[in-house]
Amino acid sequence: MATTAADSPLIQRHGRHVELEAAPTALLWLGTNAAVTLGDGRLCWIPDGEDAQPVPVHGGAILSACRHPDGTAIVTGGDDGQICRVSPDGAVTQLGHFPRKWVEHLAASPASGLLVAGVGKEAIAWTRGADAPSHRYAVASTIGGLALDAKGKRLAVAHYNGATLLYGTNPDSGRVALAWTGSHLACTLHPEGRFLLTALQETGLHGWRLADLRDMRMSGYTAKTRSFSWDRKGKWLATSGDAAAILWPFDGKDGPMGKAPLLRAERKGALVTQVAFHPKDEVLAVGYGDGIVALARLADENTLLLDTAGAPVATLAWNDAGTRLGWGCEDGRVGILNMDARA
Amino acid sequence: MAAEPTIPVTVLTGYLGAGKTTLLNRILSENHGRRYAVIVNEFGEIGIDNDLIVDADEEVFEMNNGCICCTVRGDLIRIIEGLMKRKGTFDAIVIETTGLADPAPVAQTFFVDDDVRARASLDAIVTVVDARHILQRLEDSHEAEEQIAFADVILLNKIDLVDAQELERVRQRIRAINAQARLHETQNCVVPLEEVLERGAFDLDRILEIEPNFLSEDDHEHDDAITSVSLRSEAAIRPELFMPWLRMLTTNQGQDILRLKGVLAFPDEEQRYVVQGVHMLLDGDHQRAWKPEEPRTSRMVFIGRNLDPATLQQGFEACAVRAA
Ligand SMILES: [Zn+2]
Ligand SMILES: [Zn+2]
Repeated sequence: MATTAADSPLIQRHGRHVELEAAPTALLWLGTNAAVTLGDGRLCWIPDGEDAQPVPVHGGAILSACRHPDGTAIVTGGDDGQICRVSPDGAVTQLGHFPRKWVEHLAASPASGLLVAGVGKEAIAWTRGADAPSHRYAVASTIGGLALDAKGKRLAVAHYNGATLLYGTNPDSGRVALAWTGSHLACTLHPEGRFLLTALQETGLHGWRLADLRDMRMSGYTAKTRSFSWDRKGKWLATSGDAAAILWPFDGKDGPMGKAPLLRAERKGALVTQVAFHPKDEVLAVGYGDGIVALARLADENTLLLDTAGAPVATLAWNDAGTRLGWGCEDGRVGILNMDARA
Repeated sequence: MAAEPTIPVTVLTGYLGAGKTTLLNRILSENHGRRYAVIVNEFGEIGIDNDLIVDADEEVFEMNNGCICCTVRGDLIRIIEGLMKRKGTFDAIVIETTGLADPAPVAQTFFVDDDVRARASLDAIVTVVDARHILQRLEDSHEAEEQIAFADVILLNKIDLVDAQELERVRQRIRAINAQARLHETQNCVVPLEEVLERGAFDLDRILEIEPNFLSEDDHEHDDAITSVSLRSEAAIRPELFMPWLRMLTTNQGQDILRLKGVLAFPDEEQRYVVQGVHMLLDGDHQRAWKPEEPRTSRMVFIGRNLDPATLQQGFEACAVRAA
């Protein structure tokens, strides 16, 4: 991809920048209203075309965030041990408080209504509508990542030396221990629950085919994978951690076993830090360690420059309709691309 | 990408009761104009509440290379990344370890993890030693010996509780293990904090000050004992010989080498090259230009078990440019 100073990034014509005074830790959408969580404990709402509206939420940094299962608010986890629900009108409700713990992981499912938080060595679950924890699961070591399948029933927890599969709505059934030496930092479940993938400290992914618990190894990354994104059909898993977005095929029953990945949006010497599939089209948004954001089409090698260099891209997300793309860089720069304006 | 300055990290080790908590409380309460994020393993021991005190769980894991000495602290990687999200609210990090902890995984974490390396750097390992109990501790545990071996700075504390003779025996035993660390003798850990915190680059210049191999074979009391060996060369060191030698040495003897440090003069190179390692993990870089008046002497220090000074010196000399 050519990225010279002469290139005019798309955001200059079809979007805008918003400068925030702290490091964005997550960007999420409610319709066309972006929510950016920050390292100084605030959440900033950025409604379409309006100024950023900061809401103080946590005492320290917001370490994790997800959409509330009811789709009307954002849930945040902080290094102050609190889990809060933040509404677009600025209302903040505490859902849980775990003094002296960090809340580093959150996952939620609109399908099952489940909300799960990773707090130290415990996964804490709220069932649909609950405003206090419903049940909890202990694992042997600190939780590195949480994931739910599309139905929001199967819950995966990554930790040291493997992962644990649980039923998120039922604490008493079907616990499966998956062992693999090493520190597992993040995880994702195939939307249909057929595969579990984790990111390893030593770089690369480990995978399990859940039908027969067969192991898979996906190596060759230069850095740790921190970002996963499934395309709308569950056919491709895009991953960060190398100079290109690395896409693994999951259409057959063997998944990527014995197959080569697809590489998209490669930039020599750069590092992909964030990936996000468009919710409807075969287009992947890619954010890099040098602040560049690009769009890559799966069908060919074409890429489109969205934003110029700056601080590392820390978060990147499409809204559900696929009409807005938002990203946040470590220096507080937020980019909002408006795809309606482009049409 | 322009590299941002990294946050200095001080690691505090020492047995329970040696005085670590006293030192930590001083760091947190004294008005020194610096803000420290403190990572502790038991919050209860510290009397001060502060939202920059973080509980660690001391989760050590082996790397996937199958080697038992290649271990890192997973919790530290997580905590340091988390702290970096509140960048600007603190200037430096202090990590306290439990009395029994092996310092290697802590140090190796700062060599191994790229994200940690990009954001933080190990400034110094500070070991607090209880003058009255240390000789007994050294007899019953390897950890006590390793904590001294790993130290860049040693606080020999509670010296008011031993007599002059005993103190001299303790000093000699510490020096036999680690001839290179800065040693401060204290009561109640009273030492200017600038002697302990933010020392910069492991006090690397210290190795240029000490005389090589001042230990004679007679000082070697125990077969399992840790010793330090220091090497020097007035002739410049050839990197194309030195790097493979060091790599081979750490591959073969890495489990026995607890720490190594070196400041090297390469031929026709204006910059000092510094290298440091823990077990078989190495980190080296050009540090700064040699000063005009500075003699271009290359020095290395090894601290570990089963180190043979003669073999090491020979190997090091073989990397030097021969006199014409
Ligand atoms: Zn090793
Ligand atoms: Zn002994």
